[in-house]
Order: sequence, then structure tokens, then C-alpha cells
Amino acid sequence: MSSDLGILDSLGDEAIGDILQSWSGFCACTQALVDGRGDLSVGPDLVPLVATLCRHGLASLVRDHFLHALEETFKKNAVFKFWQQLHAYYDAQTLAVSKLHSQEGWPEEILNKSLEEICSEKGYLEKCLLILIHAFQSCEESISAEKVNLEQYGSNLIYRYQLMVSSVLLTTLPRHFPEMLRFYFKKKLEQLSTLMAEDYEDGNRFQIDDQKSKSNLASGEMDVDGSNRETIFSKNTSLVKNIGAVVRDLRSLGFTSLTEDAYASAIFSLLKAKVHNLAGDDYRAPVLGSIKEWIQAVPLQFLHALLAYLGDSFDYDSMSSGLKSPLASRPSCYPGIDSPSEGLVRWQLRLEYFAYETLQDLRIGKLFEIIVDYPDSYPAIQDLKQCLEYTGQHSKLVDSFISSLRYRLLTAGASTYDILHQYMSTIKALRIIDPTGVFLEAVGEPIRDYLRGRKDTIKCIVTMLTDGPGGNPSGPGNAGDSLLEELNRDAENQESTDYDDDINSDDKQAWINAERWEPDPVEADPLKGSRNRRKIDILGMMVSIIGSKDQLVNEYRVMLAEKLLNKSDYDIDSEIRTLELLKIHFGESSMQKCEIMLNDLIDSKRTNANIKASLPQPSLSGSEQGETDISLHILDATIISSNFWPPIQAESLNIPASVDQLLCDYAKRFHEIKTPRKLLWKKNLGTVKLELQFEDRNMQFTVTPVHAAIIMQFQEQTSWTSKNLAAATGMPVDTLNRRINFWISKGILAESAGSDSDDHVFTIVDDVNNNGLIHGSSEGLLAADEEGERSVASVEEQLRKEMTVYEKFIIGMLTNFGSMTLDRIHNTLKMFCVAEPSYDKSLQQLQSFLTGLITEEKLEMRDGLYFLKK
Amino acid sequence: MKVKILNWHAVASWTWDAQDEACGICRMAFDGCCPDCKFPGDDCPLVWGACNHSFHLHCILKWVNSQNSQTSQPHCPMCRREWQFKA
Repeated sequence: MSSDLGILDSLGDEAIGDILQSWSGFCACTQALVDGRGDLSVGPDLVPLVATLCRHGLASLVRDHFLHALEETFKKNAVFKFWQQLHAYYDAQTLAVSKLHSQEGWPEEILNKSLEEICSEKGYLEKCLLILIHAFQSCEESISAEKVNLEQYGSNLIYRYQLMVSSVLLTTLPRHFPEMLRFYFKKKLEQLSTLMAEDYEDGNRFQIDDQKSKSNLASGEMDVDGSNRETIFSKNTSLVKNIGAVVRDLRSLGFTSLTEDAYASAIFSLLKAKVHNLAGDDYRAPVLGSIKEWIQAVPLQFLHALLAYLGDSFDYDSMSSGLKSPLASRPSCYPGIDSPSEGLVRWQLRLEYFAYETLQDLRIGKLFEIIVDYPDSYPAIQDLKQCLEYTGQHSKLVDSFISSLRYRLLTAGASTYDILHQYMSTIKALRIIDPTGVFLEAVGEPIRDYLRGRKDTIKCIVTMLTDGPGGNPSGPGNAGDSLLEELNRDAENQESTDYDDDINSDDKQAWINAERWEPDPVEADPLKGSRNRRKIDILGMMVSIIGSKDQLVNEYRVMLAEKLLNKSDYDIDSEIRTLELLKIHFGESSMQKCEIMLNDLIDSKRTNANIKASLPQPSLSGSEQGETDISLHILDATIISSNFWPPIQAESLNIPASVDQLLCDYAKRFHEIKTPRKLLWKKNLGTVKLELQFEDRNMQFTVTPVHAAIIMQFQEQTSWTSKNLAAATGMPVDTLNRRINFWISKGILAESAGSDSDDHVFTIVDDVNNNGLIHGSSEGLLAADEEGERSVASVEEQLRKEMTVYEKFIIGMLTNFGSMTLDRIHNTLKMFCVAEPSYDKSLQQLQSFLTGLITEEKLEMRDGLYFLKK
Repeated sequence: MKVKILNWHAVASWTWDAQDEACGICRMAFDGCCPDCKFPGDDCPLVWGACNHSFHLHCILKWVNSQNSQTSQPHCPMCRREWQFKA
């Protein structure tokens, strides 16, 4: 500063006058130049004036003034007009957005035109600046021989000018401008993509091209080649050029990042729309491939053209020069095009990742539905798998799927069959996505927990195991089938793994196995060993819901017994098959009792045949005349080894004397054939096929012996009171009232109030008038499945019976210790009840038994401790 | 009305017509089978001795064989009478 002041002092009047004169000349000249509207003739006049001012050290003043003049002019001439033009449109747009879509021409034209105008204005002012720079240059040269680095000098000025332009524009930027740009690019892209799509459709020639692009994709290369594509592209060049011009203009105005944002977001929204459009709600076809193709075909081509038009992505190169990305090392030999810029490769990766993520989110959101129609939705699952491989957002999948499971499946309204079926599909589907089973574990846990709380889970699983297709009308038809199938496949696998084990003894194979080892995914729960995770077997997972295979086997045994006892023939082929499969899975010893049961049936068939063979052949005429008496030929028997069957519910029943006589005969003959053995009849079990003969019609039924005994009483007497009938059939009155409903519902018997309030009168319905509905339902229906009527004691009842032994122990324990936790009771029982019958129940079984004792008011429970009830 | 029975499929259980419940040798139920057998009934029959004691055939045979190797004459494990199969 002091030196400046010194200069001021040394200035003479003459010098001051000189300066003032030059300054005013410079100002006028500048004004003329800037306002000159293309007239640069004043340019040369500027040189001496600038030189004079420079000599006096006022160069910076000159620069500032000139730039200021430029700014004012730019603001006045260009900016205001520019915004005005766009604004006029914007007002209209707010009024009628819909109009835009019809007004095809709009934004492009106005935007183009106004951009061009503002750019030419800018260009003109730049030229003015160049003149100034030139003036500086010449005066510098004249002053000193020393070369000032003029380029730097000039570029510094240009830079300041650029900054000025963009700051002017940005400060006056209306809020809607970015939105407008986005809209513009979106529209352009849509145009482009429809053009592309048209081209796509009208040529099979691209089929080959597609193939090629696919193979290129597979090899990880980019398909920017487009030797064929270029033909399509030429049509679109004008469109792209148009866009390119706009982008270039915008960039030169300093809107680089704004522009990029705008077209990126336009591309992404278009891509998103495309993914949603392609993927939709159809899970039957893979879409990933076509999405990739589309990315190649539309946005990448667009970007390629754009970047090429702009003189190849200067900003990307500058950006990446500092930071060498792994992409840079890619071989740059792409035929057709000089070389795909790194920017383009980046774009491709960005777009693909975005596509993967979008598709993945879409699929994860719908995963529940996808799994519901699992075998059909296989392609969707494959897509999802690929997406997840890229994005690695497995945890998202787990979280969202669990929440949708909780919301949609694990509710009281869903039937256990449905849940089990969905669980199985989940296992199968997730096995595809993630063969290690880590995520399956996470997803399966809530389902398993929920199923454990359901009472009929075991029963459903067993039914699914045993029943073929259509075995259960309430559940999905193929559920049982698939579990049985699983059992089947499991059996095959077992054989092949056995084979594997043999080879494994070979060191080489062991080495190969070791090399194949892969670490668990990071998400794996380290608390659970990875070994048991390796093998995902559906049956094993089903059994793990139940807890132990014994429970499953028990339930199966009860179900098998029920089924066998209700058979009227000896056909047990399917049961044998199932049993063989179960034996492979659960081991022979645990299925031993079931095997004996089936064996009993086979033996019964043989014995039955033997007994029949020992009968004198009835003469044909005899059987015709003797309709009333019944011969041994109508009697078949299932003879069981009762020790190996589940406890059978005995019910007292007097069967008609004629049949009773038959049974005696049969037993006698059995005793003759198998000498030291004798038969004990379970009279209430079995099935009876009978025909009711009325005067005008005959009806056939298949019923239980109880129902047969009831209806046969009506042969001699058409009307019975319930008490008398109960006495005659030898069953309690309430049982009779329950059972007789079957005949009432069939319209064979009618019920009327008797003399006593709880003594009903049942009468046979003999007239034809009210049998309208009878004929429809009179085909042999098995009436065994009335409410809760079973021939075999259920597992719960058995358990209850078995547990009563321990009741005394438990009471004794609680008397001594006061209060105990469930665990402690369990452990104590395990420790002390080793003698016959040794304690072999699970914790859950004990808990349910204790709960039973609580409801009987023998025990109390508080805070997890059991007490004796005082 | 008349009821004509077309077919009566009854269910019965068999049992050995023996006085005792379980075999005196293996302590398994007669209606079950001896420890060596898998299937009860024909596969694992009972036999009676002259003393009217009954055992699983397999069990008493084992006993008789082991007795034979030691002494000349086997005895019934229950009553120590000479073992003879009931005719």
C-alpha cells in the first residue's frame, strides 16, 4: 500500500489528466463494445487506452470494470429474457399439466431456442473479453520484453467470466428449473425408447444381435459395439443431437451438475418404470435378461451418443484421472467405437445396479406371493437370486419376508395345512436363493415357533406324509403329495449319499471336498454350527418343528391304526409303501410297531381266507332262499396283535344275536386253525355294509357296527324309546342319542318326544313322501367320522394315561421342596424315575401334563414355579 | 323294513390261551414276542411243557439247550420238573 501511496504522490497533473482521459475513453469504448450487438469494430481502439492505463498500474481496475460491464450487459440482455421465456411456459404448465403431454412441441422448442439465444449472447461477450485480453497482451508485450505467461493471464480472465455467468444464472434461478429439465429429459428419453422399441419389434434381425449381446454380457464385456445398432441409431441421431445440443449449452452456462442430475434422474425413473412394467406381477418368466437388454438398447445407447457428442465426457476423465478405478484397467478394444469411455462403463454399472436393486425390492415385496405359487414362480426366484448376488441385501429379504409372514400367514385364521405348505415352499425357494441355508434358518424360525404352538401340527404333518394327492380336502391338494414326494426323494438321496460315503474313503475325494469348502456368509449365526446347516432336508426341518421323531412316529401310528381299522378290505399297498419310506428316514426300530400292525393285516387276510376255505361251500340255491339267515361268508375279520397297537377304545355294545352267533363261529374256527390262540372281539370296531330293504326301495349304507346294531333293532319293532333301545343295544343312553343321529340325518328314523322329558321315541320312517333328499345321500358313506368319534385313543389321551404314574412323584416332590421350576421337576423325574416305567417324556409333554394338573386344581403356578394347591 | 347285511368286517385281537400273562424266561408278554423275534403270533409261538407251564418257544429252546450241555436232563425253569414238551 505504501508504495501505491508513493506512486500517487509522484503523479503529476499531466499524468492524472492522462489517466482520466484514458479511463473515460476506456469506459465509453467498453460500453460501445459490449452494447455493440455484434459490432466489434471498436475493438482496436481499446488497445492504446488499455495500454495507457496499464502503464499507470491500473490493470486490475480495468479488468474489474470490464467484467462488471459484461455482467451488467449479460444480466440485462440475456438472463432476464431467458427466464422470461421459460417462465411464461411455466405459468401455463402449472395451470394445465396435462396439456403438456398433448403439446408435444413445447419444452423442447422453447428450451432449445432460449438456450441458443443465451449462449450466443454469452459467446459474443466472450469475444469482447478476448479483445480485452488481446489488448492486455499487446500492452504487456510493449512494456517489457519479459514474457508474462499470457495464457494463464487469459484463462484466468475467462475463468472469472465463466464463474460470473454461472453465478448470475444460479442466483436468478427459478425454483422450477431443475424440475423442468428433468421433465424435458424424461420426455426425450421416452421418445427415444419408443423409437427404439419400434425398431426392436420390426426386425427379427436383432434376434441374432440379442444373442450376441447376451454372450457379451455373460463375458462381462460391454456391448457398445452396435455395428447393427448403429443402423437403428442413425434414425435417432437427430434426436440425440438435439438433446446433446441442449446439454452442451447447459454445460456452457455452468449448469453441469444440474444437467447431469436431471438426465440421471430421468434415466433412473424411466428404468424404474421399465422394470416395474416388465416385472409386474407375473412370476412365471425371467425378466432380468430383458431388463439388461433394454439397458443396453436404450439408456446406454443414449448416453453413449450423448457423451460422444459432447466430445467424450471431459468431466469424467478429469474426475477419474486422480482416482484410478479398477475399471480403468479394462481392455479398451471395443470394436466399432473408438473406445467406450470410462464414463460409459460407470454408467452401465450404475444402471445395472439400479436395475438389480429395483427388481430386488419389487420381488422382495412380493416374495410371499411368489412363494405361494412356488413351483410356477421359479424364474422369479432365479431373478431374485441374481439380484441378491449383486446387491447383497439379504437381510432386507429376511426382514421383509418375516414381517409379511407374521402379518399374513402366522395368524389364527390360517389353517395349519396352509402354513405347512407355505413353509415347505419357503424351504424350497430359499434353498435356491441361498444354498447354505443361513437365511432359511432366520426365516424359518418364526414359522417353526408358531407351528409349535398349534395343537394339530403333528397331525397335519403326518397326514401330509401319509396321504397322497387329494388326501385332505381342506388343505391344498398337492401338499400331502409333495411331502410324500419329498420322502421319496429323500430315500433316493440316501442311497446316493451312501454311495458317496464309499468314495469318501478315498483321500482324493476328501481333498476335493475340502477344496470345495466355502465359508458361511457373514450373516450366519456363529452360535449354530455350520455343519448341520449344510444339509437342508425338508423332512428333517418338519420333524424339527415337532421336536422329536418319536412324537411324529406315535402320531403316525395312531393315524395308521385308525385307517387300518376302518378298512373293509385288506388293501394296504400304499401304507406299506409309505412305511418303507418312513423306515428309511426314521430307522427301522422306531417303525417296528407300525410294521407289526401292517403285518397283522396281511396275516388277517390269510387267516380270513383259510377260515373261509374251511367252510362248506354254500349251495347256490341255499343262499338264494335263506335271505334271513346270514352265513359266515359275509363276515371278514381284522385280527390284531393288541400289544403293538395303540390303546383301543372299547365301548360296550350288544350286537344282534345272529351276528353274534357268526362271530362265535368265526372265533371257534380261528381257534381250530391256530390252536392255542383265541380271538377277543372288539365289537364296536369295524365296518358294516348293509342294505335297508323297504317295500318300495332298497338303500345301501356303509356304517360302523354301532349304527348297524341300532338299525337292526328296528327290524322287529318299528318304534323304540331311547331307554329301551339303549338297553337292547347295551350302550349308555347318551351315546345312543349321539349315534342315532346318523340314521335320523339320513331320514331313516324320526325322533319324537316321548312321555318322559328325556326319553325320546324313535320311529322308522316308512313312507316314501319324505325321502326326497334321501336318495342323493344314500350311497355308502362311512359314518365313522362323527364328532370326536375315534376307534383309537388319541396321542394326548395316551400321554395323559402314561403321565398319571408320575403324578405321585410330582406331588411328593412339591411337598418336600415347596416350589419347583419346570426344568427342575423334569430333571428330578429323569434322575429318579429310572426303574420301570422309566421317565422318557419331553419337557413340553411334562409342561402340558402339569397344566392339566393345574386345571384340576391340584397344582398352582406363579412366576414359573409350581406349588401344591393348598 | 328289513336289514340285509352284505358284509360285516369285524375287528378282533388274538391272544394266547395261556394261564399266565408273560413268559417266565424273558418276562415279555406272551402276546408280544420274545426278544429275538420281530413279529408276534405265528413267528414266535408258545409251547407248553408237561407241567403245563408255557414259554416262548425260542426262550425255552435256549434254556433246554443250555441245560443239555451241562446236565443230561433239562428242567422246567418254573417248577424244576423234568422238561418235556406237551404232546
